Amino acid sequence: MTTEVLPPLPLPNELTAAFWDGANQGKLVIQRCNACGHFQHAPEPICANCLSFDLGYAAVSGKGSVYTFCIPTQAFHPWFEDKLPFVLAVVELDEQPGLKMITNIVETNPDNVKVGDRVEVTFSPLGEGFTLPVFRPAAQ
Amino acid sequence: MAKKNRVAIVGVGYSDVSRGSGLTLDKLTAQSSVAAMNDAGIKPTDIDGVVVHSFPHQFVSSTHTAAMLGIPDVAFYSGNVDGAAYSVAAMHAIAAIASGSAETVLTLRTVHKAGAAGGAAMLGPQRGIPGNMQFGMPYGSFTGSHWAGMYMQRHMAMYGSTEEDFGAFAIAQRKFAVANPTESFFHEELTMDDYLNSRYIAKPLHLLDCDYPVDSSSALIFTTEERARDMKQKPVFFDSWANGTTAEADFSLVRDMTHSSPWMASKRMWSRTDLKPSDVDTAGLYDGFSFIAMQWLEALGFCGEGESGAFVRSGATSATGSLPTNTDGGACNVGRRHGANFFIEVTRQLRGTAGDRALPNKPEVGVVSNAVGGFAACALLTAE
Ligand SMILES: [Zn+2]
Repeated sequence: MTTEVLPPLPLPNELTAAFWDGANQGKLVIQRCNACGHFQHAPEPICANCLSFDLGYAAVSGKGSVYTFCIPTQAFHPWFEDKLPFVLAVVELDEQPGLKMITNIVETNPDNVKVGDRVEVTFSPLGEGFTLPVFRPAAQ
Repeated sequence: MAKKNRVAIVGVGYSDVSRGSGLTLDKLTAQSSVAAMNDAGIKPTDIDGVVVHSFPHQFVSSTHTAAMLGIPDVAFYSGNVDGAAYSVAAMHAIAAIASGSAETVLTLRTVHKAGAAGGAAMLGPQRGIPGNMQFGMPYGSFTGSHWAGMYMQRHMAMYGSTEEDFGAFAIAQRKFAVANPTESFFHEELTMDDYLNSRYIAKPLHLLDCDYPVDSSSALIFTTEERARDMKQKPVFFDSWANGTTAEADFSLVRDMTHSSPWMASKRMWSRTDLKPSDVDTAGLYDGFSFIAMQWLEALGFCGEGESGAFVRSGATSATGSLPTNTDGGACNVGRRHGANFFIEVTRQLRGTAGDRALPNKPEVGVVSNAVGGFAACALLTAE
């Protein structure tokens, strides 16, 4: 008997649900302060820039650059056993200096990825009704 | 400048350390505490403070520790799960003694190999990933090795450093380990080929960049200068100390990976002393991953920004170099002590109890450090 391996699934809450809902609709949305316009990721209940509690989500361009990355070659969760090697990266989004997210770089040979590469968002089904915003080399 | 309310290290001790003795966290904690009391030549009734730091799921509380040891009443206790590992316990104890809240404080870091590295075990029984980990784990970001690989990659991109630079550190540190056979788990020197051929965990991070998971407890006892003068060991003093953090709590999302919290802690520590980097005779720099010790070399000002690889390759961190570093072999070799081994080893070097490993430069000033990324701490220790 084999047990189906589930992906590591998010547990959305009132702060994070909009991110996952957006991804399911093919949009990258990031928490943004309604008072001062500051983006923050991961989301928090307060704006670190102006201390406003009035926070929402806004769509971003999905364009950014590779801040750094590594290529995992050992699975620390069974879901990744058949996905090695892959590119685990931090992408800095164009919307705001220092606005970064953990993600994957896809649609390229892992050994071709370089720090500073321009990338654009794309969407990858995770399963169980979740979609992951991931990045690929930007179209020229 | 003569400092008031100086705090001294007067006792150090380890538990049995192994890859799986089956000893409980409680027993390990009791073993290291007794070893440190014996080293200091004191009894439980001489201790009036207990401070611990551990992972939440491996927690042995300070009050339980005091009760196990028969300490009748503690004037100061604190149990910590946040921040820069062992050094959090050290910082609380220093603050307690310097403020007069307690006189003689036992500090502890106990860690079990299993579950110490994160991974799927952190997910627990629930099906979904709570909190902000849900923005990392679905992408495969599970353990320290993942952010560590990314910190290394960023350094390589910014400064042109290479895997050989990190390898040079692993090789230099292993030389010290070979000279410390009773504590090190590894007894053969490393070649660059050994390092480069060790498997990747998260390229560019190799297996030999990682500390070695063990079951261990480490204990140190701190007291006032006045009491320290009457104790068994030659005291070692804290000259200055500091914490540092980044504005971002997530290690993977700090603003500048090559200038993370060690830079904040280092700047603050140097602002609190007349000593300079050139005064330091030995260093114990946290090596949960080898790049961390190298970030500390740069942050503390022992070499230029981005130049830690060249500094290590020059031999500066070797026994006969200008800054013998991780002279017990570091946690990559003596096993994961989450920073406490550096406080212990630098203490042994400064007070002259390092035995065969006593450094030829007869060190009088040492620096110790812990952690990287979101939070870090460092301290200067002096023999007088
Ligand atoms: Zn705001």
